[in-house]
Amino acid sequence: MMPTARRRLLFYLLVILSAGSIVLAAAAGSVSLGWEQWTNALLHPDSEFGELVWRLRIPRAAAAWTVGALLSLSGCLMQVLLRNPLADPYILGVSGGASFATLLGMTVGVAASLLPALAWAGALISILIVFSLARGEGPWSRTRLLLTGVVTASGWAALISLLLTMGSDSSLRGMLFWLLGDLSYARLPPWALASLVFIFMICFGMARSLNVLAMGETTARLLGEPTRKLLWLVYLLASILTATAVSIAGNIGFVGLIVPHLMRLIVGSDHRILLPAAALFGGFFLVFSDTLARTLLAPRQLPVGVVTALIGVPLFLLLLNRARVKQ
Amino acid sequence: MTLLDCKHLDLRIGSIEVAADLSLELAPGEFWGLLGPNGIGKTTLLKCLAGLLTPASGQVFLESRDITELPRKLVAQHLGMLQQHTVYVFDSSVMQTVLTGRHPHLAYWEREGPNDLQKANEALKAVELDGFAQRSVTGLSGGEARRLAFAALLVQDPAIMLLDEPTNHLDLRHQVQIMGMIRDRIRHGGFTAIAALHDINLAACYCSHILMLLGNGGWVAGRREAILNQPNLEKLYGCPVEVIQGKDGARFHPVEA
Repeated sequence: MMPTARRRLLFYLLVILSAGSIVLAAAAGSVSLGWEQWTNALLHPDSEFGELVWRLRIPRAAAAWTVGALLSLSGCLMQVLLRNPLADPYILGVSGGASFATLLGMTVGVAASLLPALAWAGALISILIVFSLARGEGPWSRTRLLLTGVVTASGWAALISLLLTMGSDSSLRGMLFWLLGDLSYARLPPWALASLVFIFMICFGMARSLNVLAMGETTARLLGEPTRKLLWLVYLLASILTATAVSIAGNIGFVGLIVPHLMRLIVGSDHRILLPAAALFGGFFLVFSDTLARTLLAPRQLPVGVVTALIGVPLFLLLLNRARVKQ
Repeated sequence: MTLLDCKHLDLRIGSIEVAADLSLELAPGEFWGLLGPNGIGKTTLLKCLAGLLTPASGQVFLESRDITELPRKLVAQHLGMLQQHTVYVFDSSVMQTVLTGRHPHLAYWEREGPNDLQKANEALKAVELDGFAQRSVTGLSGGEARRLAFAALLVQDPAIMLLDEPTNHLDLRHQVQIMGMIRDRIRHGGFTAIAALHDINLAACYCSHILMLLGNGGWVAGRREAILNQPNLEKLYGCPVEVIQGKDGARFHPVEA
């Protein structure tokens, strides 16, 4: 457990990082602005550069931050749910359903503005399939949930491959970007932020229960948790977080796996600290990655999923190595 | 009033009959020793008494109320169990792990207060793990992990303790220390406990009552003096046992056939 003073310091640091990343995202881009132009743009949203900053960069950064936080939170929950440090938000097929529905929409030419709703519908179908098949009678079985989820995910993956092979060349690039995770057209719907805040509050409130759950079902029951109900609740919350993130930005990989780990190495496994830390760092990490994705090869844009992995892998390996040395 | 009792319990694991028509009352002040050979179902019985497993028939009552109908949180405020194994998938500190014992006593959103921290520190001291508070649980030795799990149970502070081989991995001094602590707690608090044990002499030293699981559903139970004797032990383990009269009662050791 971290001492309170250090914990508070870390919290402020993460808030500053998050805010800083959004400011950076508003300043950097393929159109480079001088200091004066930039402050001018911030103060006058109606000016030419004001439009660029307020209508394009800041909404995109806000979407990126929210998606990063959603995925990180979902990753924390999935790892407790499956009691497996390798679990990520996509492992139980939520994103598979969303991807299939979206790509199907792209194939038949559905308007781009309807794609998020389609993604959500696909995710929901996947959640319901896994939930009803894995539930069954008798005690909670993690293996059954994991297998049902992983097999469902594979089923979606096959259908996605089918769509990709049958799709026209012109739509293929868009599909690929979506599958890799892309924030180019991402906007932040208010309900996404609302569900992030709402689910975060629920999870933060039951953080102590999550700590106990991470020690195993039997221990959790002996310490007073109605584990069956609690585990399904965690499954549903994690799935909703994932579905929301995927509907905004596609399958951005790595964030939901790496950020919970990274934070566990730094702040420990107490979910009362881990959850806010992971949400804040996840948001920062994705805004930062997306800014790089926009600027590294500007005016070309990279899929942000590629950048998250390229930064995440070395960062994670470095921290893991340092943690081992300390022990 | 009995703290925990079961009536006409029929308990099976697959085709193995653990206990047939078992009725038992754990009253305040009683320390039960649960003896039986490997694989006979001691852990299964303890889990059933904790309300974690449903018996084929019969009921378990916690302070006269059917345990399956009570919310788990209420059960956990009165009944705690030391499991045979503790596996840590995620790393955490010794202090954080001990504090999980306070979980059933805290509300949703509530944090551990100074009172809880004090209880945790006292428990760590009692099992001689003070100074380990910030250590990682994954780096503990077998015996240290065992004492940590026991400390968490002390912090949970239940009136009924179910203990699955509490002295596993412990050296002699810590075995005696922990058994003594359980006995003193029972005496002073008007509590009760049942401990699955393989060491007959620890049972002879500390337990007031004995339950033997004989296999095929058979069992004998009662006061220690009435149950813990040569014929019963030889029947239980299927090997010859010799009785020695020690300073404070009978002790047992195996002899070659």
